[in-house]
Amino acid sequence: MARSTLLFLASIVGAGAGAIALETASRASAQSRVPLLNTPAGPASPAPAWRNASWLNTDHPLSLSELKGRVVLLNFWVFTCYNCTNTVPSLVDFDRKYRDRGLTLIGIHTPEFPPYAGEHDRGNVERALRKYGIEYPNAQDNDSKTWDLYGIRYWPSFVLIDKRGNIRYEGYGEFHLNDGSYQTWDGRIRELLAE
Amino acid sequence: MTTAALRMTLLALALGAACSRPPANPAPIRVATSPSGPNTRLTLHAAPHLKINARLAPALELGDGTLLRFRTGLRTADSAYYAEPPSTVLRGRHAQVHGILRASICRDDEQICRAVRVEI
Repeated sequence: MARSTLLFLASIVGAGAGAIALETASRASAQSRVPLLNTPAGPASPAPAWRNASWLNTDHPLSLSELKGRVVLLNFWVFTCYNCTNTVPSLVDFDRKYRDRGLTLIGIHTPEFPPYAGEHDRGNVERALRKYGIEYPNAQDNDSKTWDLYGIRYWPSFVLIDKRGNIRYEGYGEFHLNDGSYQTWDGRIRELLAE
Repeated sequence: MTTAALRMTLLALALGAACSRPPANPAPIRVATSPSGPNTRLTLHAAPHLKINARLAPALELGDGTLLRFRTGLRTADSAYYAEPPSTVLRGRHAQVHGILRASICRDDEQICRAVRVEI
């Protein structure tokens, strides 16, 4: 009797400790300084298939399956995010340098606020694409489904997918033309293009 | 030790473990109210080391459906962040307000945007 009670209570204490550890880890992750570059995504995992319906800079909605054989760089961004727009020149540069060599850059435009802020408006997104000279395809992710599908937490974020459709690198944070983070992403793109 | 005593001891240990959880995070942003003539000025304050994205004006959604945007306030030279707490005016005098507060914030040492939603 006493032994079963002890085991029961021990399981409660154990479960509580697990929850605390998880919460602490989550908090530490959110509060610690966010690195500009994450580590590689770990073992390659298949990239989830997005299903966005509204696209810009392309004549049809792009699917992951049709991009097999190409390297795909997803950029989760929103035009109201200063860190995102500061990074756009680097992405435009990647698109210019590597599109013909097999890179497809895709902007996943995910609003931060409800529709009243204007981030959901297609016309506003179109204006932002023109303003920043973005010619690569962009999907409107107004319901954040693709954001959630990829487990994204910050603007801007990046997911690099290899020619077989596997996620190989993930990261987040602003970077600039030719800075260290730019060089790292540039190297990663070239590595996957060479495979 | 009797079985009952053992149970009580273990229960106390379990409760002690549950109560030792770290306190919840303070809200990254808060709203202060002050009189402004016949109305109420609402001023948004960010926690230390946090910047408020000025490109996406913070919003307060009141329970009655009223939407207030915090648009006034000096901005940084690049106009990306508020350089002083942004504010807005709510009609009438109110000692407290309740609603959903949304803002896009950035820590000084980060280069990312985070969306926060706080019930006040």
